[in-house]
Amino acid sequence: MVDGEAIRSWLSLFATEVARNRDLLTQLDSAIGDADHGANLDRGTSAAVSAFGTADHSSPGSVLKTMGMTLVGTVGGASGPLYGTLFLRMAGCAGDAERLDAPAFAAALRAGLDGVVARGRAQAGDKTMYDALSPACDALDDALAAGRDIGDALSLATAAADAGRDATIPMLARKGRASYLGERSVGHQDPGATSAALLVAAAAQALSGQVSA
Amino acid sequence: MTGLVVVSHSRVLADAAVSLAAEMLHGSEVRIAVAAGLDATTFGTDATAIVKAIEAADDGAGVVVLMDLGSAVLSAEMALDMVDPAVRQRAVLCPAPLVEGLVVAAVAAAGGAAPAEVAAEAVGSLAAKQAHVGAPAPDASAEPTVGTEDLADTGDQGPTYTAVVKIANPHGLHARPAARLAQESRLFDARIALRNLDTGAGPVPATSLSRVATLGALCGHRVELAATGSQAREAVAHIVALADRRFDEQEPSSAAGPQRSAVHRTDGTPMPASPGIAVGPAVSMRASDVEIPDEVPGDAAAEWRRVRAAIAEVRREIQRIRVAAAREGGEGEAAIFDAHLMLIDDTDLLDDVRARIAAGKAAPRAWTDAIASVEAEFARLPDEYLRTRAADVHAVGQQVARVLTGAPALHVEGEGVLIADDLTPAQVADLDASCVTGIVMAAGSPTSHSAILARSRAIPTVVAAGPAVLDVPPGTTVALDGTTGRVFVDPGEETLRELEAADQQARAKTALARAGAFSPAVTRDGVEVLVGANLGSVPDARAAADNGAELAGLVRTEFLYLGRHQPPTTEEQIEVYRSLAEALGGERLTLRTLDVGGDKPLPYVPQPPEANPFLGMRGIRLTLAQRDLLDDQLRAIVAVAYETPVSVMFPMVSTVDELADARHRLDRAIQLAGRGRPAGLQVGIMVEVPAAALKAAAFAPHVDFFSVGTNDLTQYTVAAERGNPSVASLGDPLDPGVLHLIRAVCRAAEGRCLVAVCGELAADEAATPLLVALGVRELSVAPSSVAAVKQAVRQIDRAADADLVRRALTAAGPRDVRAILG
Repeated sequence: MVDGEAIRSWLSLFATEVARNRDLLTQLDSAIGDADHGANLDRGTSAAVSAFGTADHSSPGSVLKTMGMTLVGTVGGASGPLYGTLFLRMAGCAGDAERLDAPAFAAALRAGLDGVVARGRAQAGDKTMYDALSPACDALDDALAAGRDIGDALSLATAAADAGRDATIPMLARKGRASYLGERSVGHQDPGATSAALLVAAAAQALSGQVSA
Repeated sequence: MTGLVVVSHSRVLADAAVSLAAEMLHGSEVRIAVAAGLDATTFGTDATAIVKAIEAADDGAGVVVLMDLGSAVLSAEMALDMVDPAVRQRAVLCPAPLVEGLVVAAVAAAGGAAPAEVAAEAVGSLAAKQAHVGAPAPDASAEPTVGTEDLADTGDQGPTYTAVVKIANPHGLHARPAARLAQESRLFDARIALRNLDTGAGPVPATSLSRVATLGALCGHRVELAATGSQAREAVAHIVALADRRFDEQEPSSAAGPQRSAVHRTDGTPMPASPGIAVGPAVSMRASDVEIPDEVPGDAAAEWRRVRAAIAEVRREIQRIRVAAAREGGEGEAAIFDAHLMLIDDTDLLDDVRARIAAGKAAPRAWTDAIASVEAEFARLPDEYLRTRAADVHAVGQQVARVLTGAPALHVEGEGVLIADDLTPAQVADLDASCVTGIVMAAGSPTSHSAILARSRAIPTVVAAGPAVLDVPPGTTVALDGTTGRVFVDPGEETLRELEAADQQARAKTALARAGAFSPAVTRDGVEVLVGANLGSVPDARAAADNGAELAGLVRTEFLYLGRHQPPTTEEQIEVYRSLAEALGGERLTLRTLDVGGDKPLPYVPQPPEANPFLGMRGIRLTLAQRDLLDDQLRAIVAVAYETPVSVMFPMVSTVDELADARHRLDRAIQLAGRGRPAGLQVGIMVEVPAAALKAAAFAPHVDFFSVGTNDLTQYTVAAERGNPSVASLGDPLDPGVLHLIRAVCRAAEGRCLVAVCGELAADEAATPLLVALGVRELSVAPSSVAAVKQAVRQIDRAADADLVRRALTAAGPRDVRAILG
């Protein structure tokens, strides 16, 4: 079961990963965007980690809500509303439950992904974070449906997210500032898909100890 | 007074824009709030700051929000989600350009305009600049007005755009056009409500197939569209155009076309539907509804997952059948399956299922109850045709219910000739061919999906035999001839002998061909002719390999592009092309680049309606204008060409310039790959346009092969549209006019490149000697015809039969040519 504390350690780990990969994300974004993804996201996730210190983290929903609201107000770029929506929708789906079992966690992540789609109107192949998150959600659902535990399922989701991230390299960007580059966006890995893959990998690392119910 | 909010990445930019707008106000007071930058110097947008700005600008009369780019739009949308619902009701996100829009909006607001009007004025602001600079015609998203619209203020999600369309489809907005409408409506960020002005039904959301059908919109009815949202204007214009095209519904090709039995029931004029002879005891089928067991529901999430998994399985099944139907019956035939697909993904239906699960029902019960309520809605409709669509709902509902309960698809009692009222395509697909030797249907049509599937499964079938056959007692001997459409109940000895003789002759011929399927096709005087297959899917490629195809002479790549909302990615294409090559055992793949036109528009390819789509933007003309589509496809083709022998073939070429342009794109794709030219890569064109056939000598230096598409070449040569039954008889590919064109191509190609034929004529065994005599050295046919065509090549005594050519070319018409061919 995943409780508020587990979610907090997942998101803190994500923040650490974002900080560690800050330059990589910015460098990827400088190729096809406005070179701010690493800096923006790092500003947001660091602010969220500080907020965790004072905010309520008795339930998964409350931690996710803190994360979402902080990102919305501090990131600045498109990843603010997008990641913000992801976590706020997850929070909405998690509700007041003190603990989430594996399917409930997967359902929350799926709700978050749906939120990202609704917000960004991205589709598969548009070269966005969706291209990493969507295969991850599918892999997670499939693995859980096949009876795997959450640790295995999240490892499979991580592999799917990584593959999805890598698959953005040859894609032509159709969303966001990268789409202004047209053909020149081809051949570059999408920074949003890269950070999204970090998010899934952090979940695998932080939540795999949580025995599924 | 309407307030304004400026959302920008930059505080400096926003402040300056506000100053500029203030100059226009001459002291009038307009509330303008700014939400820009994370602070005075850091670029960025913050949804929470926008919430505060909206609240500050709103004095109760509503606000218009203007944004710069990217995250500004996303954050503003998010802010709207976060504000008080009452405030949201009167806030409008305006897609106008920030600076021009703000200036105009400020003036409009100062003049007392309501938010929707202010937003509309702001959007129009770009027009002045465009007119002045003389920019090329702005795209639809920036066009200020469309004639059919009428602006009204609902005080909701920005302005409401409305239009009234008149339904011109003969059967009204039934499942297929409704599916098309729902599908297209989903492409826009807009909420579109429909009302039937003639019956008062509605409003219903345009995106919900089940609800759209309940409008009961018949031919001639007026349906009102009302759209809100950021793309409302585009959505309305798009749907008006779609309605003008009759929602892309093709004219029914015959009374017995895609319609189902319930309406076009015949009274006993049996029609052949799948060739072959079958004799056996009559068996009946129990097509009773799935019994829903009383089960204790698991937790709601688990039950919901069951439904989703079952739907996913049925979706795959429908897609599989759809591919078969599209291959054999064309896209028009396959469209009904799009309606089925839309139905199982219908948001309204799924919400209902979810609600029932939440109320404590197990998945199968929740599903069947929800389906029953949709079915009941259809059944209440006044129009008979639409009412019978309830049968479609029922069929799909049962399909999912079967998966949910694990019930067997169809229970046939015993072995023999199956007698049934009408079978659904899924039922035919599930029949055990070792038990069912033949099918007689009381209803149905030879062009129905069920008949198509029976053909592809090689089960002899007769349809439209009339309700009397249903009274044949089980066990009675029934014989049928699926080639002629004859059905015999309790036939005499003599009839049986006659049928058996005919059957054996046909079987012997097939057996001979089968035996030689994997040997090359060589004429008696030693000329080899390549026999390949036309493919439209991976299963086709397997069938082609099983039947001895030496290559894929035509891969209709359209199957990758149809029935979806965005084009396939390069990676997706590579995967599919690779699977095709694997299924074909590494033989050469001739990949034809996307070949579509205005008659089957793709949702992601903007195409204005054309009066004559067959003479319009199609084939290479279209893809040269839609470079991304062509470039993505060529990249995929090149990538696969490094792994396996590949030919790329451009369709509908009529000028050498088009070919040069297309080859240039191909060269670019090769350059991008950075690995040099793939060794086995060949380039060719389809010859479908008479001008191209006659200019073949000009093309010859630039191609490795010509492939004559006799279907289109014939319709363009005799000026008779294939789909038009009143002139279809003119379109015989053996018209000497067409043969002259084929000879022109062969002469120009002689000694320089290969000439193939990939149209229906290639599979006409009677025509094989003539085609070979003309100089054709490759025939590409349906997978199931490969062996027979090879056998026909082997019967040819002399490949270069000049006398045969002379006589055919000087014949008066196709009938005389057929007489010469014997």
